[in-house]
Amino acid sequence: MEFSTDAVAVIGFVALFVLMLLRVPVGMAMGLVGVVGYSYIAGMGPALKLVGQTSMRTVTDYTFGVIPMFMLMGAFVSVSGVSRELFRAANAFIGHLRGGLGVATVLACGGFAAICGSSVATAATFSTVAYPEMRRFGYPQSFSAGVIAAGGTLGAMLPPSTVLAVYAILTQQDIGKLFMAGIVPGLLAMSMYVVTIMLIVFFRPEWLPAGEKKSLAERISGLKDVWAPLVLFLFVIGGLYGGFFTPTEAGGVGASGAFLLGVLRGKLDKAGIREALLSATRTSAAVFTVLIGALLFGYFLTITQTPQKLTEILTGLGVGRYGVLGLIMLMYLVLGCLMDAMAMIILTVPIIYPVIIQLGFDPIWFGIIIVMTVELGLIHPPVGMNVFVIKSVVKDVSFMTIFKGVIPFVLTDILRLLILISFPIIALWLPNRL
Amino acid sequence: MSASSVKSKNPFDRIIDAIEWMAALFVGIVAANIFIAVALRKFFDTSIPDSYDFGRLLLGILIFWGIAATSYRGNHITVDLLWTSASPRMKRYIDVFATSVLMFVVTVQTIMLFDKVALTFRDHVLTYDLNLPTWPFFAVAWMGDVCAVLLIGIRTWRLIFQPQSLEDHPETKINE
Repeated sequence: MEFSTDAVAVIGFVALFVLMLLRVPVGMAMGLVGVVGYSYIAGMGPALKLVGQTSMRTVTDYTFGVIPMFMLMGAFVSVSGVSRELFRAANAFIGHLRGGLGVATVLACGGFAAICGSSVATAATFSTVAYPEMRRFGYPQSFSAGVIAAGGTLGAMLPPSTVLAVYAILTQQDIGKLFMAGIVPGLLAMSMYVVTIMLIVFFRPEWLPAGEKKSLAERISGLKDVWAPLVLFLFVIGGLYGGFFTPTEAGGVGASGAFLLGVLRGKLDKAGIREALLSATRTSAAVFTVLIGALLFGYFLTITQTPQKLTEILTGLGVGRYGVLGLIMLMYLVLGCLMDAMAMIILTVPIIYPVIIQLGFDPIWFGIIIVMTVELGLIHPPVGMNVFVIKSVVKDVSFMTIFKGVIPFVLTDILRLLILISFPIIALWLPNRL
Repeated sequence: MSASSVKSKNPFDRIIDAIEWMAALFVGIVAANIFIAVALRKFFDTSIPDSYDFGRLLLGILIFWGIAATSYRGNHITVDLLWTSASPRMKRYIDVFATSVLMFVVTVQTIMLFDKVALTFRDHVLTYDLNLPTWPFFAVAWMGDVCAVLLIGIRTWRLIFQPQSLEDHPETKINE
């Protein structure tokens, strides 16, 4: 019995989701389905040849070097204790105000996420840094966990973001432009989270009591600690923006800079260096596995003409281009319950991107929108990766309590998405000046 | 990791640690290579010969050796929705199935990568500046994939016959 290419495509997607649900690593499942599907149509020989060529080409592609380098930079910064320093500095200035500890958490999360680049790592780190402090001053468990979960999502938006870098590579967009495009929406996200906390203070002042007031000396001492990450961030992003180095070089220089700053400030010992190197290696290997799988799956998509057919179906629905965009975002929110943000981007962008281009949307703007949607998936019920991470660190809080605390921030995120969809200039203004 | 678990490491675990360390060292070397190359170019108007080629070839080595360790540790990106709600017995079945599929895919990849290494050797592909043959780098990367097959084999065997040995080591993701 011969199957049509459409039937092969459908069977391929069903097989892919079954394999993923059976916990086959996402990249391996994509590679397997891609190669088997391709071999069914084009023959076993060409399909197997793709395996060797694609694997080696991907791992020796200098452009992809941006991924392990920014991950290494984030890992060095993480183990150097920067999160604690940022929180201490922010807390010294605003911790004595009602809701101040919550605002300090958002600001410190933003600062840390900007260098670390990982949402999950940010949430995990601040669960140990900010959560105990907020609880000490009587903040409710739900709010304390919720603000950390939301603050963690800033990691993928503020540069240098690994997720945005991967999106740029997959869609052949300029990484520097995408990083620039993330700055204003990232700052908007931080501002809107702060406003959300202030609204909570306005309606329920007893929930978020004031912390202790710090002396001027303590404030200055707090600021002294945060110069290093700030300099590193400005150097890396400034160098990229000014054309001083390529994105991969920015990552390499950033990683080396984070290492040197950590060692010179006495914050990075032998164990810390070991931990950072191992962490960057593990995460990079996991991401590259997905990338190789996605590229193999991409050949299958090409031979079955899935993106073109999907474009025809979606544009033929008669719901308009924003209707199609809404459907795509809905799909991402559902997928967000199932898988990791990076895997989701790598799996879906090759399929969805042609549709977006056909509909006339700006690819840079779409990158920001899609990363924001994916990040929303990290905190929205019923399954949010950041919520799981916080739960694994903070044992005495239930999932229901964390989700309760996350709700105001989820609503804020939805509002922010609507603003960015209505006003693409918010994301595009800065990259257009490049 | 607790001191007791460190003490209880058997030779296999030490080998796996060494493999992971090798990959980790290459991450550091790649970063240092980039940093020095940029500094030389910007401040001394010179460059490391073949810095670009070394960077990408070392990247290949670190990723394949990293995949070997990641596969053994169970640190790959997975969808855990069904697994988290399964009974312990079902979790084990799922893990054995997933690891078996992983081994099949990585074995096929290793065989096909050997072709690529052989092709690079036959075509006598050289680096840009120093004209060094690139096949030894490809071969070292390929050896990482061979290690991955062996380690996944050990993981599968342990999952079936000695699940306790994986649970004893917190770095290997099983039944969390």
